[in-house]
Amino acid sequence: MDTKVVKKKLGLKERYAAMTRGLHWETTYQPMDKVFPFDRYEGIVIHDWDKWEDPFRLTMDAYWKYQGEKERKLYAVIEAFAQNHGELAVTDARYINALKLFIQGVTPLEYYAHRGFAHAGRQFTGAGARVAAQMQSVDELRHFQTETHAISHYNKYFNGMHNTNHWFDNVWYLSVPKSFFEDAYSGGPFEFLTAVSFSFEYVLTNLLFVPFMSGAAHNGDMSTVTFGFSAQSDESRHMTLGIECIKFMLEQDPANVPIVQRWMDKWFWRGYRLLTLVAMMQDYMLPKRVMSWKEAWEMYAESNGGALFTDLARFGIRKPLGWDEACEGKNHISHQAWATFYQYTHAAAFHTWLPSESEMAWLSGKYPDTFDKYYRARFEHWAKVQADPKEGRWFNQFLPMLCQTCQVPMFFTEPRDASQICFRESTYLGQKYHFCSDHCKRIFDHEPKKYIQAWLPVQQIYQGSCYPDDINPASPGDSPVREVLRYYGIEGGADNGDFTTSPDREHFANWSGRRAVAAADKI
Amino acid sequence: MSTTTANAPATDLLRTVGEYPVIQQDDESKFHGKRLIFLSWENHLMYAAPFAVPLPPNLPFGALVRDVLPLLYGEHPEFEAIDWQRTHWFNSGKRFIPDFGKSLEHHGLTHKSLIRFRTPALEGVRGSQGF
Repeated sequence: MDTKVVKKKLGLKERYAAMTRGLHWETTYQPMDKVFPFDRYEGIVIHDWDKWEDPFRLTMDAYWKYQGEKERKLYAVIEAFAQNHGELAVTDARYINALKLFIQGVTPLEYYAHRGFAHAGRQFTGAGARVAAQMQSVDELRHFQTETHAISHYNKYFNGMHNTNHWFDNVWYLSVPKSFFEDAYSGGPFEFLTAVSFSFEYVLTNLLFVPFMSGAAHNGDMSTVTFGFSAQSDESRHMTLGIECIKFMLEQDPANVPIVQRWMDKWFWRGYRLLTLVAMMQDYMLPKRVMSWKEAWEMYAESNGGALFTDLARFGIRKPLGWDEACEGKNHISHQAWATFYQYTHAAAFHTWLPSESEMAWLSGKYPDTFDKYYRARFEHWAKVQADPKEGRWFNQFLPMLCQTCQVPMFFTEPRDASQICFRESTYLGQKYHFCSDHCKRIFDHEPKKYIQAWLPVQQIYQGSCYPDDINPASPGDSPVREVLRYYGIEGGADNGDFTTSPDREHFANWSGRRAVAAADKI
Repeated sequence: MSTTTANAPATDLLRTVGEYPVIQQDDESKFHGKRLIFLSWENHLMYAAPFAVPLPPNLPFGALVRDVLPLLYGEHPEFEAIDWQRTHWFNSGKRFIPDFGKSLEHHGLTHKSLIRFRTPALEGVRGSQGF
């Protein structure tokens, strides 16, 4: 007689417990501290990992199922977009440059996030946090992949997207996002989560994703909108992990509060500096604008972020240092950044252009206190020079000084005085270091041994690290910039330079013209 | 120039799991006999950021003014009008009077020094509200 097997069906909560915390054990051959060496060295004290709340209670099998469905939908849209030549439906080929910035500067961050969460997902002793970090690690890898696939369609038709991994590792403006993430994932797992899950994902992510995705929607790029949605649905889980991690650390021990506060100060500022690139994209690179950077900052940072820090006050947490400067900067940074890229576009991997009269009118309206007062004159002067056949398009031929911490060229101005570049300086082990702000200086001063190792692209060019093998770095010839571009794999004038004279512009006009003719023929 | 402060880091809060190497990524020895000098023409923001230029330590200050600065700033509409005798020079915020015949080294312009210069009669096109 067969024994009747009773299949015990677990409830959701039990099942979650069995599939996450139930997989954890205390090690016996080796002490836990040796197996998890990264768990305590940052100084964060955890008394009880069971207090970690798992708001999503997601198990791996459910995770695969949801993500698989999303992938199927996403790839169906990407396929249809390609077959219908969706790239010709965008407002204007200038828009493609926003995508170049995304694939060059944002997509590689997804991969770094994948690595960072894989590390955190190995190193926490708490199984709940470990599982959440592991799933996010897989999410981030998925984002890298879907973004690469979606944008690869554009790579068939436009320049400036063919060598992005190499550029990310070498090119000056891409060292800004790169150094942000290398700083984050070379910290311990708790700092990494504060940096990426909290400061970046929770406080600042809307300022990254909304401008790119709503910019895509406004400019007819449905492929990007779709991968944006597909990623965004993961972001809510990531944001919850971020806030949960912060609250958990703050509740576990009062000694954690000052450490977490310092990380918030650091990572808010580093994130804010990184978002300068997004601010510029939003105000200058979208042919059809969504909202100004200033409006986005007011909505997502000042209003939403302000409420968050009011909520965290009960733990003894205050707004990050630099908050006021960032709020003042909303009036300036996009203009300062575009003026920089305009003059250094021949050393970048995307096109720039001067804002038109109507675009400048829009900027004046959105920035009534600053655009006409500080920035309009520069653009008008360059327009005059560019229109003069004796002079032509102006390019700045000499390399800029960079901030040691954020690695952005030193174009930020003094708080409350937009006519003066802001300089700060420290001396460490006999060498001078320069910074764009009090906050970048403070970050350096707290961990100088870390930041003296910074790989600053300008310094590296002069040291000879960015030339092809056939060039002697001590005497690179009559045009060092040309040799550096050769090393980067950037073709001058095609991958960069002014949009008005670019192959992108010409091709788009020809192709979209042909498409209109073909459609007319059918009628 | 009171805004530049040169002081040593107060606290080193770096925590590590083991030995942490001290690597001066931009040590002077890596610049092929030159040293990196940063240059900023105050109030002239047409040039987005100050410049970073490798220069020989024995370069006479006069050669910096005569040969280097025109390359960097020569395209600015006000450059031609600069009166170098009336220019104010600052090394990391500290005023100094250059001797055009003497070297950068002589002026204490060590590796990664920041030279800011102010041209009092010229405050940028449209003054401080321009570039």
